[in-house]
Amino acid sequence: MTQSSLKDIFVLIKQVPDQSAKAGINPDGTIDRAKAKRMLNPFDRYALQAALHTKKHYGGKVTAITMGPPAALEIILEALEHGVDCGYILSDKRLAASDTLATAYALHKVIKYIGHFDLIFCGLQTTDGDTAQVGPQIAERLSLPQTTYCEDFRIEENKVIAKRVVEGGYEWVKMEIPALITVANSYHHLEYKSFRGARMVQHLLRNEEEKNKYIKTITLDTIGAEPAKCGLRGSPTIVARTDKVSEIGGSCKIHQGASQEQLVSEIIQSTNIKEFLKL
Amino acid sequence: MSEGKILPEIITPSNKEVIVVGEQLNGEIRPVTLELLGAGRDLASKLGGSLSCVLLGHKLEKLPQKLISYGADIVYVADDSILENYQTLPYRRVIVDFLSGFTLPPHIVLLGSTTCGRDLAPRIAAHFETGLTADCTELDIGPYEHTNKIDPEKVGLYPNCLYAIRPSFGESLKARILGPWKNPQMATVRPGIMLPLKPDENHKGEIKTIPVDLKPEDYRAELIEVVHEVSKSVNLTEADVIVAGGFGLGKQDGFELIKELASCFENVAIGASRKVVDIGWIPYPYQIGQTGKSVRPKVYIACGISGAIQHRVGMSKSGLIIAINKDPEAPIFKFAHHGIVGDLYQIIPELIKQFKSNIVKEEKPLVRQN
Ligand SMILES: Cc1cc2nc3c(=O)[nH]c(=O)nc-3n(C[C@H](O)[C@H](O)[C@H](O)COP(=O)(O)OP(=O)(O)OC[C@H]3O[C@@H](n4cnc5c(N)ncnc54)[C@H](O)[C@@H]3O)c2cc1C
Ligand SMILES: Nc1ncnc2c1ncn2[C@@H]1O[C@H](COP(=O)(O)O)[C@@H](O)[C@H]1O
Repeated sequence: MTQSSLKDIFVLIKQVPDQSAKAGINPDGTIDRAKAKRMLNPFDRYALQAALHTKKHYGGKVTAITMGPPAALEIILEALEHGVDCGYILSDKRLAASDTLATAYALHKVIKYIGHFDLIFCGLQTTDGDTAQVGPQIAERLSLPQTTYCEDFRIEENKVIAKRVVEGGYEWVKMEIPALITVANSYHHLEYKSFRGARMVQHLLRNEEEKNKYIKTITLDTIGAEPAKCGLRGSPTIVARTDKVSEIGGSCKIHQGASQEQLVSEIIQSTNIKEFLKL
Repeated sequence: MSEGKILPEIITPSNKEVIVVGEQLNGEIRPVTLELLGAGRDLASKLGGSLSCVLLGHKLEKLPQKLISYGADIVYVADDSILENYQTLPYRRVIVDFLSGFTLPPHIVLLGSTTCGRDLAPRIAAHFETGLTADCTELDIGPYEHTNKIDPEKVGLYPNCLYAIRPSFGESLKARILGPWKNPQMATVRPGIMLPLKPDENHKGEIKTIPVDLKPEDYRAELIEVVHEVSKSVNLTEADVIVAGGFGLGKQDGFELIKELASCFENVAIGASRKVVDIGWIPYPYQIGQTGKSVRPKVYIACGISGAIQHRVGMSKSGLIIAINKDPEAPIFKFAHHGIVGDLYQIIPELIKQFKSNIVKEEKPLVRQN
């Protein structure tokens, strides 16, 4: 087996509203992004771990890429603390209201602008967009082979051998490099922040000039993206209407805070479960 | 609203065809394909168009005929050994070439929101730069008035839009998503939700072969191993009651308690989350969810299961969902009907105790228990 070595590993991460925190969640269920608590998309933690594993085993430099408002700097710093080498933030008002097609267009332009890569890792999906479309749409724009729902992989003879979870089993796919992988949440959990990473971030926070060397904030003009293909104008879909779901979501009757005898007898009395008991 | 002004009607060119991208596995049509044909039939009649299905595979034999009996007016078939199993690049090529071959584009293209559909659909949509809505739970056709001034060329009344309706924001909202500017309008649809039509052997349809014309770059990925666990019949799909255990059991032995609880019920089966299947506490045929079985029992008791979306899609249609979880924030409490917040090792024995006393009570209602 020849020793495979990689040069550039990209990982795409997104900052999302923290939906478990109550702040910034409007009564109608929509999100006030200005007030909401922000977090790294939980699914992207697995993508980060996959990128860092790749670097550990096969070498290379890990670049984290995100598109979002300037506050997205927070997740790039978090990625650096975990051991990512550098980051790009694509931030531009003209990107507002981008759907997945427009997002993938803009992100593929960032990737082309940065240049050479061997592997691109994406999360399986985001908790706000929740589409799992951006990864494959970037692969299409860049004309790459892809493996989605990937929960394990290795590199041999300059090919990626990736395990894909499917209904009723799994499969192994062997892909030429460069390729794109979306990482399943059955992949390894993200490890603790590295001491070196945390020190590095402390250093960057004290030194603006150094920070700008490691973290680049770019706009549509930097990457030569067509504004008409971005944002609301570049999005073929629109959300025409939202309704609060009342039938299932939120209608759960919670039984808590009493003795277990009490809780259990409440359940038995308030449901028809007795009908199904063996007599 | 347009303040009484009448918006110009804008007809986006299409041939009014609704196309379902079918899925087959080991010589069987996947249930989601039949469900999509059921939903597609309704859309096609509202549009005044036809319904078709495109099926890729190898040695498909009687399958196209089956799709016709389930409502397809035309079945487009691509039969080639490389298409035997789903693979992104070859499937993408055949579908892209096929959809490019229409003079006027189809109106709607639907795929299942399966691991194949969610892999393929975004690539097709990106290729044609058209709209795609993920993981829909309802579909409809209707008009849309666009008055947004940001893009003045788009202002108008669009008569026949696909309403792609899906849960959003952790399922607390239902969003109606539209992409009327361009056809085909695309969506992936959650399995297990739409209803298939009753098969009709007299329904007439046409079978047409479509070309398989791969390019060298379509061979950059190769499927080297496929493992489909053949699930032996664990009576999950027919049980009235399912008692399911998850990682909250803490140990393999925890399933003994699950079995004991199950033994209180008539026509009952045991189920599990993927996490406990993965770590080997219980074999795969018991797994419920996106990559396991879809079930719809009258009662589903989830014990120590967090309620991840991939689990939820396999069981959320159950009649009565009772969740036992010690974390009051667990997502399962968002869609269960009744939830007990507590340690399952205290709650389940208590349930068993009360069920048993209940059973005795029903038998001898007049005897006092002590
Ligand atoms: C492509 C893909 C496909 C997947 N397909 C499936 C699928 O088909 N089916 C499926 O189930 N999952 C599937 N998953 C995995 C899914 O995302 C979750 O990881 C999995 O469902 C979690 O299992 P769990 O709820 O048992 O474990 P956890 O998420 O770890 O939840 C354990 C729960 O138990 C509770 N708990 C702990 N101790 C106790 C106690 N003593 N008493 C009461 N409660 C307790 C905890 O509060 C927690 O909520 C899939 C994932 C991917 C990426
Ligand atoms: N704005 C963004 N910036 C960076 N990566 C993104 C962005 N949106 C989506 N992605 C990537 O695409 C994956 C799927 O997102 P989605 O299609 O929104 O579910 C995410 O897990 C990320 O890896």
